[in-house]
Amino acid sequence: MKKKLALLTAALMITASVAGCGSSGSTAPTASTAASTAASTAAESTAAESTAAASTAETASAASYVFLEEDLGVESYAIGFRVGDEELAETVSGAVQALVLNGTYDKIGEKYPDIKDYLCLTADDIDASTLPEEGSGDPNYTFKHGFDLDYPPYSYLQDDGSVGGFDVELCQAVCEYLGWGYESVPFNWDAKDMELNAKSCDCIWSGFTKEGREDDYTWGITYSNNTQGILVPADSDIKTLADLSGKIVGVQTATSAYDMLEDSKKDLADTFAELKVYETYTIAFNDLKAGAIDAIAIDMTAGSFLISGAN
Amino acid sequence: MTLSTMLSSMGEGMLRTCAIFFLTILFSMPLGMVIMFLRRSRFRLVREITKLYIAIMRGTPLMLQLLMWYFGPYYLFGMSIRGYRFPAIIIGFSMNYAAYFAEIYRGGIETIPKGQYEAAEVLGYSKAQTFFKIILPQVMKAILPSVTNEIITLVKDTSLAFTLAYNEMFSIAKQIAASQTSFVPFIIAGVFYFIANYAVAFVMERIEKAFDYYK
Repeated sequence: MKKKLALLTAALMITASVAGCGSSGSTAPTASTAASTAASTAAESTAAESTAAASTAETASAASYVFLEEDLGVESYAIGFRVGDEELAETVSGAVQALVLNGTYDKIGEKYPDIKDYLCLTADDIDASTLPEEGSGDPNYTFKHGFDLDYPPYSYLQDDGSVGGFDVELCQAVCEYLGWGYESVPFNWDAKDMELNAKSCDCIWSGFTKEGREDDYTWGITYSNNTQGILVPADSDIKTLADLSGKIVGVQTATSAYDMLEDSKKDLADTFAELKVYETYTIAFNDLKAGAIDAIAIDMTAGSFLISGAN
Repeated sequence: MTLSTMLSSMGEGMLRTCAIFFLTILFSMPLGMVIMFLRRSRFRLVREITKLYIAIMRGTPLMLQLLMWYFGPYYLFGMSIRGYRFPAIIIGFSMNYAAYFAEIYRGGIETIPKGQYEAAEVLGYSKAQTFFKIILPQVMKAILPSVTNEIITLVKDTSLAFTLAYNEMFSIAKQIAASQTSFVPFIIAGVFYFIANYAVAFVMERIEKAFDYYK
C-alpha cells in the first residue's frame, strides 16, 4: 500500500511540477490585474508627489537647467549601412533628398521642436535630376530600420505607446516614397554592430554620429547636425568648461559625447573629479537633479528634450 | 503619456516577461534532471563534460550567453538569424537555469543515505523502482525551497532579455523613462516584479504543503 502511495506521489509530483507552471500561469492574469491596480494607485501618489516637488522646484528657479555657452564640438548625424552596401545607401539617401524637395522632411521636423534647428538639408543644395523616382523601389523588399528606442527625440516611445521619433518617421517616409515595406528593429545600442553585421537590420539610423566612425560603415546622407554640450543646473557655479575641473560629470555609454571625452576631449575629461558613465541619460539626469553629479555631457537635442521634460 | 498608456504598454511587456518565465521553467526543470543524471553518470568522460558545461553556464554572465546564443549561429555558420530572437532567449535562459537546477537536484539526491539503496536492493527493488519510488519523493520535498529561490531569481533575470532587444517589461520601463524623463516607470516595474514574485512564493508554498508527507 505504501509503495503504491509512494509511486502515486512520485507521478503526482512530476505532473505537479508541470501543472505547477500551469496553475501559476492561470493565476498570472489575476496577478497582473492586481498589479496594475496596485501600481496605478502607487504611481498616482508618486505622480502627485513629483508634481508637487516640481512646482516647489520651479518657484526656486525658473529655468532649472541650462547648457554652457562653450560647447564640446559639432557632429553630423547620418545613416550607417553595412560596409559595401553602397547601392542601398545611395537609394535611401536619394529618397531622403526627394523628401526634402517635396517638403516632407521639414514637415516631420516641425513635429520635433528640439530637432528643428539642427536639420541641415535644404532644397537649394539638391540636384533633382539624380534622385530615385517615387515608387521606383521593389515592392517586395522590406527595409529593416535598426534604432535605439531609448534615444529621444530621434527614436523613442510616443505618448500613445507607439514607436516614433524624427528618424523613425523619416525612415517610414523614405520606405513609403520608394514603395518598400518598413520593418522596425529596435535594438540594444551596445549590440548595434552585431545586429547590423548579422543582417537583422539594414541600417543604423538613430541619431547616429558619423565623426570618428567614417571607415566603419558605408555612410548615407547627413540629415542633421548636432552640438555636444555640457548641461548644468541653472544656479550652478559652473560657467565655463574650465570650471568643470574637479567636478563629477555624467555621460551615457556608447554615445558620441562619451567617445569625445575618451578621445579628442580627453584633456578636458582628465580635469574632472570623475567621469560617470551611465546606461541611459535618464538615470544620469536623475542623478543631476538629485545633486549627485555636477554636470552632464550630452548633445543639444537630447539635452533640450530632457530639459523640456523636467520644466 | 497618460498613466493608463504607461500601464498598458508595460502590461504588454509583462506578458512577454511571463512568456520568457514560463517557457524557461518548462524547459529548464526537466533539462536540469537530464544534466543531473549525466553529472552522476558512471562514465568519467560524460561526468567531466557535464561538469565543464555546468562550470561554463555558472561561470559566465547570462547576458554574454544570450549574445552568444543569438549571434553565434550567424558568426559561426553564417546562418540567417531572422525571427530567431525569441527562441535564442528561451534557449539561453533554459540552458543556463538547467545547470543550476541540475546542481540543486544533485544536492538533494546526494543527501539520501546509502543505506536506503541497500535496503531497497535487499527488498528486491530494481534501480528505476528505487529511484522513482523511494529516492525521488524525498528529494522533491527537500529541494523545494532552493527551487523556489531559483525561480524567484529567474523572474528578475528576465530583464536581461533587453540585451537582445526583446521588449520585455523592464526594457519598456526604460524606454518610457527615457521618453517621459520620469522615474515612475521604474517604480511600476518594481511593483510588477514584487507582485509576480509574491505569486511565485505563494504557489510554491502551496506545492510544499502538498508534499507534506512522511511526517
